[in-house]
Amino acid sequence: MKGLELIKKAFALEPVKRVPWVPFVGVHGGFLTGIDAEKYLKSSEEVVKGISKAIEEYNPDGVPVVFDLQIEAEILGCELKWAPHNPPAVVTHPLADGKQLKDLHIPTEFDGRIPEVIKATKLLRKKYPDIALYGLITGPFTLALHLMGTDIFVKLFEDPEAVNEVMDFCTKVGKKMSEYLMEAGCDIIAVVDPMTSQIDPQTFETFVTPFVSKLFSFVREKGKLSSFFVCGHAQQNIETMCNCKPDNVSIDENIPLDFVKEIALSKGISFGGNMKLTVVLLMGNEDDCRENAIDCLDMGGKKGFILAPGCDLPRDTPPENIKAVTKLVHDPYQQEVIRAMDKKETTLEILNMNDYGQADKVIVDVITLDSESCAPCQYMVEAVKRVTPHFEGVVEWREHAIKKMEAVTFMSSLMVKNIPTICIDGKIEFVSQIPPKGDLIAAIQKRINKKLKLKIKSKRSEILILGEDKDETSKLNSKIHRAITELGKDVEVKMISDKKQIANYGVSRGPAVVAVNYKLKSEGTEPSLEVVKEWIKEL
Amino acid sequence: MSELLLKIADCVEFGKINKASPYPPQMKGQDGADELTRQALDEGVNPQEILTGGLMVGMQKIGVKFRENKVFVPQVLMSAKAMSTAMLHLKPFFLSGEVKQKGTFIIGTVEGDLHDIGKNLVSMMVEGNGWKVVDLGTDVKADQFVAALKENQNAFIGLSALLTTTMVNMEKITKSIKDAVPGAIVAIGGAPVTDDFRKKVGADAYAPDPQGLVEYLNSQLD
Repeated sequence: MKGLELIKKAFALEPVKRVPWVPFVGVHGGFLTGIDAEKYLKSSEEVVKGISKAIEEYNPDGVPVVFDLQIEAEILGCELKWAPHNPPAVVTHPLADGKQLKDLHIPTEFDGRIPEVIKATKLLRKKYPDIALYGLITGPFTLALHLMGTDIFVKLFEDPEAVNEVMDFCTKVGKKMSEYLMEAGCDIIAVVDPMTSQIDPQTFETFVTPFVSKLFSFVREKGKLSSFFVCGHAQQNIETMCNCKPDNVSIDENIPLDFVKEIALSKGISFGGNMKLTVVLLMGNEDDCRENAIDCLDMGGKKGFILAPGCDLPRDTPPENIKAVTKLVHDPYQQEVIRAMDKKETTLEILNMNDYGQADKVIVDVITLDSESCAPCQYMVEAVKRVTPHFEGVVEWREHAIKKMEAVTFMSSLMVKNIPTICIDGKIEFVSQIPPKGDLIAAIQKRINKKLKLKIKSKRSEILILGEDKDETSKLNSKIHRAITELGKDVEVKMISDKKQIANYGVSRGPAVVAVNYKLKSEGTEPSLEVVKEWIKEL
Repeated sequence: MSELLLKIADCVEFGKINKASPYPPQMKGQDGADELTRQALDEGVNPQEILTGGLMVGMQKIGVKFRENKVFVPQVLMSAKAMSTAMLHLKPFFLSGEVKQKGTFIIGTVEGDLHDIGKNLVSMMVEGNGWKVVDLGTDVKADQFVAALKENQNAFIGLSALLTTTMVNMEKITKSIKDAVPGAIVAIGGAPVTDDFRKKVGADAYAPDPQGLVEYLNSQLD
């Protein structure tokens, strides 16, 4: 199904086969094409290049066009400080620096960087008719804060009327911005109001609800969808946010997804988020990203949930990390693997496998999801099955389908990370790729040879001469010594004359000879029960 | 006398700045932190006592409420405003040494980051709990922290960041500080920061809220 359609379904709370995926690419688009944040955000051409690259690499169902909450503020007179790796920061607040509200005007489509945003939107719309385009506007409270500075917080109490006037103005700005973006081709208007995380629900209801509600109903009247983005510790306001009647709320990792899910669904709206931006997406590796994504996918479920990062991706987020999420989203089989591996980490003991694979036979373990339901696993198992008869009983193979707990334990004990994997005598040999017959045979043969060498090396033998009659036993002793010398063997000879000891060997009458073969099985470790069982089987 | 201190504590907790202040509505028309602190000094209450038995008590209470999500930034800023209004009356006693502070805390938003709401909040709370605060502002580089630490021996350092991209600078700054002043204690905080991240960057403490930092700092005394 096309991305836009899928997202519309999720917004409408219809069950979906696959959770839609919306990587919030902001200045990260510039990272993909190798330019800094300032150049990126000032040029529609660069934005189109960056977003196109992101679409190509991340196969998203929707993308934001421009993720920058300073566009309106800049036009309204806030000075910006640009940085190479970040969206710009607002450094001055005109209403705190003597300007009056009446001096400010609602931005037109020709002001500031708005023409670039409109142009980028139109181009992307044309290029990608099936992907949902998110048009972002600065939420009124955040814009008011840009204009007033932190004074706004004390003004809430000391001069509420003034705050209301600024909020009203900022809402008009937002409405105009939404209009420009919808006309240019955006499907979803995202009202991004992170600063609301700093206020309590009552203050929110008093100063924010009346204004943002207008924005959402305006978008609805225009036949488009809306989303309410917030970030930070905004848990207290989720219900209040939902009451403003957006079509969707999107949150970051600071708010538990299950909490948002419960409230949003009870209010009949969809929800999104909340992959961990920094610790996982920016600083983690692909495994971390997959794990985090699967947690979100499972928690969010297939009704009303949109998988997305908590906020715009840090510019230098490793693309491999986002690609790993993309692959996972589109690959239900990989999702199952990650789920099974997740389980292992939380609940399982790790067996001591140091001495695994010391039995006479060579053991080939195939770790699979389940060869009956997973095609690559099936081929892996078949490859092994085909090869083992060549070794005529010397090689034994087993499948460990990790849908079963003990197989998961086994897998993690062997430190296997990918499915399917072939281990030979407990050593990882073939990962993911099915080996050609010749390679597999060679690998097994190599192991057999090695074992044989070890076997020869680790042998130690004794010959015991049992008997009470010294004459008899010494004759035997010299005979045996001669034999050993002639054969050039390293065998120790021991004489046992104590009647009781002789009886222990089941010998009733001397002279008798007992040959003993010693075999070193483990050293310096405590082998696991499974391993000991393997040894005992060959006795 | 202790009743007066309790009233001062209430003013700080509820953000009642002075008599003219309309907030909070339930204290409308009453004396605020400003008038009551003046009154206490006039009545001969020990300024140290006003700080620890009045102002700090109120600050402590609002800090706990903030941590428990009972109040948010606006309310805390009102408390801080009430507190700092009262502190103006106490300033001379700090200078004369009659009122002692617990220690020094140096704070700044790290290099590349211009956000100061969180940093200011922490700064006010720490100050309101009896510490001397050296606020280096925003976009502060490692050597500025080091210079401030050399000027204020044994001070604790706090690094703040709001952005995911600037929080990574905390690692470099922490390292530079510790290289320049071995044994320096660095605490970090800010919206994207977590304790896992603290471990990664090698800082000494992380607190999810200002009160947490205050408690950490107090625990480092004695």
